[in-house]
Amino acid sequence: MASRVVKVDREALAKAAGPFSVRAIMVGLRVTSRHFFRNLWGWIIGKPTIATVMYPEEDVVKPPAFRGMPVLVEMDNGKERCVACGLCEWACPVDCIHIVPDETEDAIERYPQLFDIDMGRCMYCGLCEEACPEEAIVMSDRVEIAAFSREGTLWHKDDLLVPVDRLARRLEYVRRSYER
Amino acid sequence: MSDASTGQKFENPVTVTIDGRAIVAEKGDMLLQVALDNGIEIPHYCYHPKLSIDGSCRMCQVKTGAPKLAIACNTPVVDGMEVDTQSEDVAKARRGVMELLLINHPLDCPICDQAGECYLQDYSYGYGREEARTASPRRKGLKRHPIGPRVVFDQERCILCRRCVRFTNEISKTDELAVFGAGDHSHIGTAPGAPLDNAYSVNTADICPVGALLSSDFHHKRRVWFLEETQSVCPSCSKGCNVKLGMFKNEIQRLVPRRNDDVNETWMCDHGRLNYAFAQDETRARDAVVRGEAANGSSPVVSTDDALKEASAKIRATIDAHGANAVGILGSGALTNEEQYHLAALARDAVGTSNLDVIVPTGEADGFLIQAEKVANARGAREMGVSPGESGKDVAGMLAAAAAGEIKLLYVIGSNALAEAVEADALQAAMDNVDTLIVQDTNVGPWADKATIVLPGQVWAEKDGTFTNHQGRVQRVRRAMSPTEGSYCDGGLFTRLGALLGGKDPAGARFDARATLAEISEKVSGYEGMSFERLGSLGVVLGEAAPASAPAETEEGSAPAEPA
Ligand code: SF4
Ligand code: SF4
Ligand code: SF4
Ligand code: SF4
Ligand code: FES
Repeated sequence: MASRVVKVDREALAKAAGPFSVRAIMVGLRVTSRHFFRNLWGWIIGKPTIATVMYPEEDVVKPPAFRGMPVLVEMDNGKERCVACGLCEWACPVDCIHIVPDETEDAIERYPQLFDIDMGRCMYCGLCEEACPEEAIVMSDRVEIAAFSREGTLWHKDDLLVPVDRLARRLEYVRRSYER
Repeated sequence: MSDASTGQKFENPVTVTIDGRAIVAEKGDMLLQVALDNGIEIPHYCYHPKLSIDGSCRMCQVKTGAPKLAIACNTPVVDGMEVDTQSEDVAKARRGVMELLLINHPLDCPICDQAGECYLQDYSYGYGREEARTASPRRKGLKRHPIGPRVVFDQERCILCRRCVRFTNEISKTDELAVFGAGDHSHIGTAPGAPLDNAYSVNTADICPVGALLSSDFHHKRRVWFLEETQSVCPSCSKGCNVKLGMFKNEIQRLVPRRNDDVNETWMCDHGRLNYAFAQDETRARDAVVRGEAANGSSPVVSTDDALKEASAKIRATIDAHGANAVGILGSGALTNEEQYHLAALARDAVGTSNLDVIVPTGEADGFLIQAEKVANARGAREMGVSPGESGKDVAGMLAAAAAGEIKLLYVIGSNALAEAVEADALQAAMDNVDTLIVQDTNVGPWADKATIVLPGQVWAEKDGTFTNHQGRVQRVRRAMSPTEGSYCDGGLFTRLGALLGGKDPAGARFDARATLAEISEKVSGYEGMSFERLGSLGVVLGEAAPASAPAETEEGSAPAEPA
């Protein structure tokens, strides 16, 4: 690939900055030490002002409007709410949902025998959630999709199921935002 | 199809104005059909072009100048009629009908197979209310009720249009379905002990405008909007019903009939509709096999090219030792005309045998659609020359000759069809006495398992070509499925085998359906002028494709529209 090469003479640059470089260091040090002492004080009196959390041991609580990975709602009986209607599969702009429907003896008649989402391809757009007539797929607050293989980013139905009460906030939010 | 869309002349032309557009129609034709033929959409449920008029749904009401709105499906057109399908009172009537239909309709769309091709859904977008105004709970009814062995019934979804009742009364003439009860208690049902079980029963699922009657085979199988549809022809008998193959990920999901007034109107039989598993199940023959001394090592599976070489060597050896008539070729009626043409050429020119015939399993015919010949292209095969040559033997003759030791090598295309078509004893005797059995088939079976050489063939859904039905209508089959990588269609096997027998390089002997049809149109009488384009979606009767007798339809430049 042809590209433009810019030669940088770092030594000359440092020389030209001269005494000012020392000043910049001092400015930086002042900012960090101010935070250090303020946080130290806050920690001593039990009112930390710091925004950093100890991820992954700790996690921030995301607002309900946050769109993380789409997950499937698991009802209290341990089954999915999804009836394999295929609307999310159709709505998904990147075609990362794959469903194989089948018949069940339950009154609901249909269920997804297979429900896969390729999280490596999902772009968290939330269109699947908007399309779903059953409130069966919602955007969660989960964001960790790292895996050691490509297969690892393919989430199957069992990986996707999340108990309904853990999704209560989002479900409430969805109901409000799609209400007309 | 009505006159308007074929551009024919009318006997008693009248002019009606629909939404300001002047339309010429045949006097007495129903307004709804005239509108539909001219691309004007009038919502309707109970009207079906192939059934009697019921007038029960009231969805098709339009303004005709009469004091009240009139139902378009039962209003004959008269000269000077002015029709308004878009006025506010028409829309109001439609909204009213929709509201009444939806009072008891379940919110089943997510689990309903009809969703995506449902009239009720479609019209709800235009004329439905978002919220119900009734407080009482929706009426409960039978769900997933097996109303017949091949049809599932959901009573809650039924809108009582009576299309299904009229179908069993007028088309299948079996009268299983009827409306029971009256008023608010009306429902579709069958008499005790008489389920919906006739040779055409699944058509009721096609014509049911909602998801009340559904095909059990397709039930909860695949969303219709994921299906890729290919126009084709049913392969299960010589009627050649026009069908659409609904494909998903290279698998046939369902067959549904396609309207062709000269063949199947808009119906098809249940057997044909459900006979497609062979195209994709585990019985498909995918590997070429060579058994006996020629097999390399333990596995008899070889490449198709090697199997073809072996086949040509065996045929050559038989001709050299016993003469060409020691070879018998039993052709299949399931192959396209183009393939049959090459088979005839193979037998006549490359092998030189006159023992050539087409295997035709037969069964019951019913005088409506189902024909006695249980393959799609037996007529085409004979016309392409797949028939005994001078003093050649037919199927039975060949088997007898093989049993007597006169025929040393049998080349059977379609061994399973053969087992169906002839007496088991005669077949056994023949097979016991031939030296070499070459089987070319789409599916494995008892004879393929015993054959010296097996050549895997392709099913109709994997091919482009033409079939000639029992009436002599040449119809197009289109490829809907991708065949196994590296496999050849039956025509390709014939051309390559022919090249090998002629000492030529088989790689140069590619099969080209289009070019073959061009050749057929020059050489076979009746096929003059046939080409894929000329056949279109509805096919052409033999002898009618030649430019001289060509199309009345060019007059107005309109080819027959593809009806819904
Ligand atoms: S969030 Fe968007 S990209 Fe991801 S599965 Fe849903 S529709 Fe597809
Ligand atoms: S839209 Fe909802 S109910 Fe339909 S398949 Fe997707 S998750 Fe299941
Ligand atoms: S019949 Fe039509 S409207 Fe009724 S549930 Fe099925 S798809 Fe929906
Ligand atoms: S079952 Fe279907 S076709 Fe029969 S009356 Fe009901 S809606 Fe009409
Ligand atoms: S279509 Fe006219 S009344 Fe049903």
